[in-house]
Amino acid sequence: MRIDYKLKDKFDLGLAIPALILFCIGLAAIYSSTLHNPHAVGNFNKQLFFGVASIILFFVIYSVPTNVFRSVAVPTYIVSLLLLVVVLVIGKRVSGAKAWLGLAGLGFQPSELAKLGTAMVLAAFLSRKNTAIDSFKDIFLALLLGLVPIALVLAEPDVGTTFVFTGLIIVMLFWKGISLFGLFVVLSPAILAISSLLGVYYFVAGLVLVVISLFMFRKDIFFSASIFTINLAVGFFTSYVLKALKEHQQARIRSFINPAADPLGAGYNAIQAKVAIGSGGLWGKGFLAGSQTQLQFIPEQWTDFIYCVIGEEFGFIGTITVLGLFLFLFIRILKLASTAKDEFLSLVLIGILSIYFIHFLVNVGMVVGIVPVVGIPLPFVSYGGSSLLASSMMLGIAANVYRTKKNYT
Amino acid sequence: MKTDNFLSLTRVSVAYFVVIASVALLGFRLIEMQLIEHEAYNEKAANNAIKGIEQIPLRGVFYDRNMNVLVSNIPAYTVRITPADYDTSLNKLLEAVLDVDPGYINKILNNNRTYSKFVPIRVKRGIEFPAVSWLEENSANLPGVDLIVEMQRGYPAGVRGSHMFGYTKEISPTLLEKEKEYYKPGDMIGYSGIEKAYEKILRGKKGYTYVLVDSRRKEIGRFKNGAEDVASVKGNDLVLGIDPDVQKVAEAELFGKRGAAVAIVPKTGEILAYASAPDYDLNEFSYSTSKEYLQKLYADPDHPFFNRVNSSPKPPGSTFKVMESIAALDMGVINTDYTVVCRGGQVFGGRFFKCDATHGSLNVVHAIEHSCDVFYYNLIYKIGMEKWTEYSKRFGFGQNTHIDIGEESPGFIPTEAHYEKIYGENWPRSIMASLGIGQGEVNVTPIQLAQYCALIANDGVTYTPHLVKGYLSNDSSRKFIPFSYKEINLGIRKEIFEIAKEGMFLVVNGNGTAVASKSQYVQIAGKTGTAQNPHGKDHALFIGYAPADNPQIAVAIVIENAGFGATWAAPIAKKMIEAYLAKDKLKELENNSANKTDKKNKGIAVAH
Repeated sequence: MRIDYKLKDKFDLGLAIPALILFCIGLAAIYSSTLHNPHAVGNFNKQLFFGVASIILFFVIYSVPTNVFRSVAVPTYIVSLLLLVVVLVIGKRVSGAKAWLGLAGLGFQPSELAKLGTAMVLAAFLSRKNTAIDSFKDIFLALLLGLVPIALVLAEPDVGTTFVFTGLIIVMLFWKGISLFGLFVVLSPAILAISSLLGVYYFVAGLVLVVISLFMFRKDIFFSASIFTINLAVGFFTSYVLKALKEHQQARIRSFINPAADPLGAGYNAIQAKVAIGSGGLWGKGFLAGSQTQLQFIPEQWTDFIYCVIGEEFGFIGTITVLGLFLFLFIRILKLASTAKDEFLSLVLIGILSIYFIHFLVNVGMVVGIVPVVGIPLPFVSYGGSSLLASSMMLGIAANVYRTKKNYT
Repeated sequence: MKTDNFLSLTRVSVAYFVVIASVALLGFRLIEMQLIEHEAYNEKAANNAIKGIEQIPLRGVFYDRNMNVLVSNIPAYTVRITPADYDTSLNKLLEAVLDVDPGYINKILNNNRTYSKFVPIRVKRGIEFPAVSWLEENSANLPGVDLIVEMQRGYPAGVRGSHMFGYTKEISPTLLEKEKEYYKPGDMIGYSGIEKAYEKILRGKKGYTYVLVDSRRKEIGRFKNGAEDVASVKGNDLVLGIDPDVQKVAEAELFGKRGAAVAIVPKTGEILAYASAPDYDLNEFSYSTSKEYLQKLYADPDHPFFNRVNSSPKPPGSTFKVMESIAALDMGVINTDYTVVCRGGQVFGGRFFKCDATHGSLNVVHAIEHSCDVFYYNLIYKIGMEKWTEYSKRFGFGQNTHIDIGEESPGFIPTEAHYEKIYGENWPRSIMASLGIGQGEVNVTPIQLAQYCALIANDGVTYTPHLVKGYLSNDSSRKFIPFSYKEINLGIRKEIFEIAKEGMFLVVNGNGTAVASKSQYVQIAGKTGTAQNPHGKDHALFIGYAPADNPQIAVAIVIENAGFGATWAAPIAKKMIEAYLAKDKLKELENNSANKTDKKNKGIAVAH
């Protein structure tokens, strides 16, 4: 029997086209920012190569049977954890963090694979028939699955990527349907961790908020006291971790709180990035004509600060187009996730979305100065093979789910 | 309890809301940055990429009174190092080439550590030609080392003028702190003499050229093709009252001695010559001063840096007698009929004060002519201590002359109060006898003596002594803009001066103390002085002016520890005066002798 169907029934252009346009904008920005840099002139070609590889990878993943994903979830997770351990032992240190594996002359970041592996294993765990999301045993098991890669990534140390993992876990728990109190239990330590970074007063204020919230949830006193103790412990632990962090990372966190305090040091990138974006204006200074970019005021601009190139040379038109493309992509994946009737696939999709989204939010937020400078790439746009391959792989999964949605929705 | 809220409508809505709200938040932030605050960011970007490079203006030059150049600008090479590009392993090689001590470069680099690594630091100025050519040949192997041409001072007229001209030097950190509005590290600034006193007129106005730079501050092109550049404005050229002929004679005559010589135009206060000895070679200062030369200067017991003209007070000796004569005549306590009989000395307060000779009876004119001490031992008692102090001060002693350059010593004129303070009300009046012949505690500087001589020569009227007459405007007209100086008018009748001047005329042209210094070209009037010095030989002094009937030049000479003023000081004054007033005759003489040697040479040539 022959069934006629249109292209759009099997292939979502709404996923592929925005990603492709973002990749092309990224290519232009990489070209512009590396043009005058003798150390990075090859980056455009490398990115083009990885682009082609990514498209192939995308179609391979697009084509595999959808039920494969559930079966590879645990192996992917375990392999990526092993790679994270390996990278700590024999990894290459790039700008302070041991996050790279040399592979046939090309650098590879295991943490990129670990994000997807963690999303898949959490999806598999949370979609088990006997998982009760508001049983604290299962919440802690889920957290444990997430905390293992976080601990390994923190050891590199790569603060930016731990943000992604933390967000990923919280979003997936939320999507699974964790109760408001459960979310509070999971979220409050994270909030307290951040407030303890800001200073003693913020930390105390956060503790007060926790006490008020506990009172309003009206749980039994012993239970509430345990939660409070955990929060308190996390707060102190964070300041201990802060001290244990590498000097350049401490400086980055400090410089976010007050970037002007050290304009030539850690705050330098934050200030120069804002100058690049702001000076772009409505139409931008033109391709290859941005002074901040062409005169290399921002180091390694083709990676985490690629959005500045777009902002400076293509102006508001360029930056808003990128925002629009991401928004379109996010809505598309969100729609797919919310219509997927298979709980595992829905959770995988929301995991993928949260990985994209947190990268996007932190990266763009960082260059416009509303998030600390933490080095994570902008998906599809930033230069970097691992990131591009991982992003395309995840897009392939989404496209795959779309292809077989008739079976699952 | 039903806990599975998977895909509840609320959660999906929350997800949509978070995504859309976050993107919207970023969008608003972009609107704020790129559309609303665009201008401010644009300016910052421009400041980042555009660097203003200071253009040091040409320093004003010095002209003499005949508009010939005394101090000029000459190009010289400076070696600079940009620390960011420089490899310190080159230190040894470079130090050998530049002929500096080992460790010199490291010291300079360390001193400038606070500035950006991309700003070039001047390592040595005034590089000798062999080093320049070596550096240029090997520039490819010397990263971060470059050569620039900068202007240095040159002294083409052959006038040394060490204390008068002064020198420029790289600005010191302490001075930089005070003057940071104009100066930058490495800028030159006048450190002494005219260079210092007229710094603000000489330095001009800095210009700026704007260039595009990358994040390493490396220049990559002109900004707007130089449309925004500001040209530097050359410093104003100064016109001095110096007569190089007189100055050269003064410098030559003082060579090997300790002392000072000053010549002034009595009517205007313009300084014709200003010399202090020993001096130093300004050419050594126009480049980076060599350490050995500086050490030699500092170690010299005669202190070559010491400006004796302004700051070396010595007893005036008999040169003071002219002032006392004028004072007594002006007060009316004597006239030309008043005489004193000199028996070779006199007793005051139980102490015998001697005279150089037994002069017999003489009036004030002849007292000056013969410099009779007995006359003045008596005269100061007639004048009285209070009036003696008053007249001394009226003639400019005991206070700064306010000459236009340098620090000054006021000297010392004792007062009645001074002695009362030391000895009480009944202080020994015999002290006055010493003061009467310009000895004892009275101290005057050479510049005060020169001003005093100008006042006598011009009958009590002159102007504050000054080296710089004015400056030239910077426009094409090069108009001369004079500085104004204060008039000094003693308000003493001309006839009184004429009596004193008659005595001074006879000093040189009669039977006086300086007849040996009589000139065959011009009539000189003057007064010798020999100041007793408890520490060594007497100081020789002379004040004089010429022509006697219409003074054009007033001279003061002080030679330390030389002996008689007539022997050591007067001949120098004579030569300086002749250099100014008998230029033609001296030139004729010179030509004649040159012709003679020419003929001689020709004769020899023929003989060959």
